[in-house]
Amino acid sequence: MNELLEILNDIQPGVDFENETHLIDNHLLDSLSIISLVAELEDTFDMTIPAVEIIPDNFNSAEAMMEMIQRLQED
Amino acid sequence: MDVLSLLHAGAHPGLTAFFSLHYLGLFLPAAVILFSLTPKKGKKYTLLLLSLGFYWLISGVLIGYLAASVAVLWGCGLWMNSLQKKRDIAVKAAEKPDRKAIKKKYNGYCRLIMGLAVAAHIALILVLKYSGFFLTNVNALFGTGFAIPEYLKPLGLSFFILQSVSYLVDVYRQTIPADSNPLRLLLFVSFFPQIVEGPICRYSQTAQQLWEVQPIRYENLTAGLQRILWGLMKKLVVADRLNPFVEELFTHHAGYPGWLSLLGAVLYTVQLYMDFSGSMDAVCGTAQIFGITMPENFRRPFFSKSISEFWNRWHITLGTWFRDYIFYPVTMSGPMKKLTGSARKKLGNHFGPLLAGSVALLCVWFSNGLWHGAAWHYIFFGLYHFVLILLGNCFAPYLKKANERLGFTPENKPFRVFQMLRTSALVVFGELIFRAENLAQAGGMLKAIFTNFGPLRGCYSTLKTALEASGCDVLDLLIVAVAVCIVLVVSILQEKGVEIRGSLNRKPTALRWAVWYALILFILIFGAYGVGYIPVDPMYANF
Repeated sequence: MNELLEILNDIQPGVDFENETHLIDNHLLDSLSIISLVAELEDTFDMTIPAVEIIPDNFNSAEAMMEMIQRLQED
Repeated sequence: MDVLSLLHAGAHPGLTAFFSLHYLGLFLPAAVILFSLTPKKGKKYTLLLLSLGFYWLISGVLIGYLAASVAVLWGCGLWMNSLQKKRDIAVKAAEKPDRKAIKKKYNGYCRLIMGLAVAAHIALILVLKYSGFFLTNVNALFGTGFAIPEYLKPLGLSFFILQSVSYLVDVYRQTIPADSNPLRLLLFVSFFPQIVEGPICRYSQTAQQLWEVQPIRYENLTAGLQRILWGLMKKLVVADRLNPFVEELFTHHAGYPGWLSLLGAVLYTVQLYMDFSGSMDAVCGTAQIFGITMPENFRRPFFSKSISEFWNRWHITLGTWFRDYIFYPVTMSGPMKKLTGSARKKLGNHFGPLLAGSVALLCVWFSNGLWHGAAWHYIFFGLYHFVLILLGNCFAPYLKKANERLGFTPENKPFRVFQMLRTSALVVFGELIFRAENLAQAGGMLKAIFTNFGPLRGCYSTLKTALEASGCDVLDLLIVAVAVCIVLVVSILQEKGVEIRGSLNRKPTALRWAVWYALILFILIFGAYGVGYIPVDPMYANF
């Protein structure tokens, strides 16, 4: 989780990623941030995020992202 | 004689005009009666036969392309599905370290099948629609003498090809199951209201509801007819009435001052919106009669505050198609991800990902321009919007900061109105490029607007001369203005969340009928039809 928070803070500083649960809905992460984020997550966690996983539910909170990462790592 | 020619396969492309007597007066009533007479269990088959009959009447033997496409969808869908099942069984039985390799192997097979099937569809459209354009350019560039082929292309080709490609990719991505029923797939692709001008439906949106179609209900029938009537008003009173004048301003632009070129571009933008959104009203209204909900293609686009927002509100199903099947796959491809990673380190959090996003955006807008037609001015139209969106993305953070400092918040109403007018002005210039016969005409008109705008003295008599040359008069423009005001008021109310037809239905019967009769009379009196008017084909049917 710490690694994920580090990436998020690097890409979009100044957001409370630990507690925020509407990152996409509240426009705290835009499409450009998602492009960066996907590239960084794949590099760091050694998995592939397919295009179908790019949905708000998977990126609205750090927790949701972590769940997606773990699910894709198991795949 | 007319009915006989209707029965002759492929001899009646006029049926594609949703507001023609042939469609509204003959085909639709016949379809409703036939559908109603069919027992409940057979209704889906009647709908399928009606759809195939409709397409056969407008395309004749070219219906073979559609049948071949559905055969490929059915076969390749089931093939991918069986491989995906085999993969899951093999993964379950394998040890954990081996699972990745097994998945990779089966997913590779599926990707190959999907890729070949998609390539076959793209090749078909490239040959039928673009080979002439391509060879003309090759001949001009290299001095070669290739013969320019002229293929007969079935109406609605660009629409059903995109719909078919979306099905193949969705089955590959496993966001939908492969359909084992070829008739259901055939109905999904061929449903008669959508086949000519879209909307471009996804399998998950319409296939099942079409197959489970229910008997016609009174409230669906009336709501559908009301929607068609609204579209009829947009098409006959505005779009078709404007057509001769727009034609005159574009064709003979060299003889007029620049402000008439600008007026031509503005009026063409109004014409295109009323024509296309009016046709979509007819499509959605027809579907509603049968209890089918189609995805909407327009959401009051001229209230957009940016070009990006405009494309989320104009031809929505085309925009979402490009987003899901070109923008995301390109952005999320291996090389683009690598580019994003390295560019972010060098260019920072904003411009780094923007680089990869822009490559994908360029692919989207090049395809969007080309999709509309095989001509350079369509490609320029796409690239014009690419540049506008790219500039918007580049300057977004700086503009946001500047606006905050100046107090231009999203709640600031005059600023919002300014943003809407700015967006509409940019759209108008794009539509000028789109409507022009070629790049030279577009260039000439743009040059006139910026270098030879006036003289404004005596502009009324210049306007009257241009109107007379097109066979129109000032009264035509006044009628159009009244109709546009009606559409504008309705749009403002819808934008404020008022459900107009719902609230009208709650009013007393006399008032309700007065409103609908007033609309019918308005169309009958002011619609452009009958002697002296040349029927205008739906503008998007040719794309």
